[in-house]
Amino acid sequence: MEERLYDLIFICRPDTPETEIDKLIATLQHAVEEKQAKVEKVEKWGLRRLAYRVKKLREGFYVYMVLRSSHGELLKELERRLRVTDSVVKYLTVRLDEEIKRQEKLSKRREKRNARRPRKTAAAVPGAEQAATANG
Amino acid sequence: MADETHAPQHASSQHSSFSGGRPPGGGGGGAGSRPPGPRRGKRNYVRKKKVCRFCVDKVDLIDYKKPEILQSFVQERGKILPRRMTGTCARHQRWLTIAIKRAQNIALLAFASEL
Repeated sequence: MEERLYDLIFICRPDTPETEIDKLIATLQHAVEEKQAKVEKVEKWGLRRLAYRVKKLREGFYVYMVLRSSHGELLKELERRLRVTDSVVKYLTVRLDEEIKRQEKLSKRREKRNARRPRKTAAAVPGAEQAATANG
Repeated sequence: MADETHAPQHASSQHSSFSGGRPPGGGGGGAGSRPPGPRRGKRNYVRKKKVCRFCVDKVDLIDYKKPEILQSFVQERGKILPRRMTGTCARHQRWLTIAIKRAQNIALLAFASEL
């Protein structure tokens, strides 16, 4: 199976000590590595205001991770762990590889088009057309 | 309707003479072009053509992790603004709705504003 890219965001209660959050991240990383997957990025966004109340909380500690895995069950396992952890109030996993692929395709196409465009505008100027063809 | 800009009539005649000497009242060629005919008082406006902000910025991926950007495409009470209000192109609107819904799911963006 090909590798897939995932975003994993979870929100902890604001009153959890940071050491506990670090511990949780470490256990998740361990679980990821056990399945021969990779953690590409871990970001602690820190305390942020929630857009709406979650479990009567108005703030939460956001943690953002990017994973590269070829096992779908891994995400299932991670979500299960987050669900059981009391300090986690909300989590979200998003599969991103297809969107990234699409983005790369579009960016490439744009680059190609931009590379072609300057010559076209030069040809539009009278007199410059012959010079452009002579160069080409 | 916040970002619709209405220009008064004299601005419209300026505009049409600028773009190739079309007769005044022929429509600015924008989204709100009207049938040619005599001018009727102050009620004629030329609607400024709205362009897709994501196309202008050449965005290939709308990031759901940036609620500041998504916020401007959502009504105060949390509804997603339609394309005809924001001028977003079909493709970007499609990506935008997905991004907004993801952001809502992780409490970066409200489903509905609280009272």
